[in-house]
Amino acid sequence: MHPGFNKIIMQQAISTEIIYSFIIIICSLMIYFGTKELYELSSYKGIKYFRQAFLFFAIAFFFRSFIKYLLVYFNVNAILEISPKTFNLLFSQTTLLIFMYFSFIAVFYLLYSVMWKKWNHSNKIYLFHFLTLAIAVIITISRNPLIYLGLNILLIIFILFVFLFASKNKKHKKNNLYIIYILLFIFWILNIIDILVPTIFIQFRILIYLISLGIFLTILYKVLKKVGN
Amino acid sequence: MSKRERLEIIKDILIIIQNNKNSIRITPLIRKSNLSSSRFKQYFNELLEKRFIKIIRNSKKEKIISLTDKGSNFLNKYKTIVNFIEEFEL
Repeated sequence: MHPGFNKIIMQQAISTEIIYSFIIIICSLMIYFGTKELYELSSYKGIKYFRQAFLFFAIAFFFRSFIKYLLVYFNVNAILEISPKTFNLLFSQTTLLIFMYFSFIAVFYLLYSVMWKKWNHSNKIYLFHFLTLAIAVIITISRNPLIYLGLNILLIIFILFVFLFASKNKKHKKNNLYIIYILLFIFWILNIIDILVPTIFIQFRILIYLISLGIFLTILYKVLKKVGN
Repeated sequence: MSKRERLEIIKDILIIIQNNKNSIRITPLIRKSNLSSSRFKQYFNELLEKRFIKIIRNSKKEKIISLTDKGSNFLNKYKTIVNFIEEFEL
């Protein structure tokens, strides 16, 4: 294959990822700021954790790809007088750690927003922060896809179990938000796999992005409709 | 009476004030709110802290409780808040 062709493909992949991250950041921030008044008026903990989850999604996606573009664009390694190799290594490890931390904590906050009443007597949020930090550090240091996949599978089983348990005990079953939450978790995991093992999903990358965007836009629509904006 | 949720109690207290032409003395407010004095005090302090209500003095120099704009806004948005919580199972 011609090297120029590879370069074009790479550039298109980067551009697609940046546009995708940008839309997710905007959607997440719209949810966060759109629910600000409801939280300020009610001081309701469920709303607090729900909106914080989306703030963490925005931060995670910022560190996933958007910041890379900004730092490369402004040629930061040259300004800091660091060799490109050292810069890339330091930078990719740091952003991966931050991305992992915020992406997992966002999922845990979303879970906590639904479960906080049941877990009210024991403040599990600190436990989640500790667990998330441990997972992020293990993944970043090991860089082992098997450890990474194993942790993700455990996480998704745990979350599905908690959500299914919660929905079983709910009185009102008329809304279908649980399905959206579950889809969001599944595509979240797909997106993380996509980052560490890009060759597996290279042909399906755009499809994954489109489905993930569809889920985020659905949640955004539902939130803004309910908030009345 | 079944156990009321925190937001519902706040709404009920604010509605009592609103239905009394936005001015009510503390004693009838406690009575109408159907809360124990200790629980009422807890909610009353929260409403004052959040500036949902204010204490003013009438022409007879009596202490009168009145809704603020923020308190009225809470009542306007109450249904939206409850619907939001129910929709997302929060």
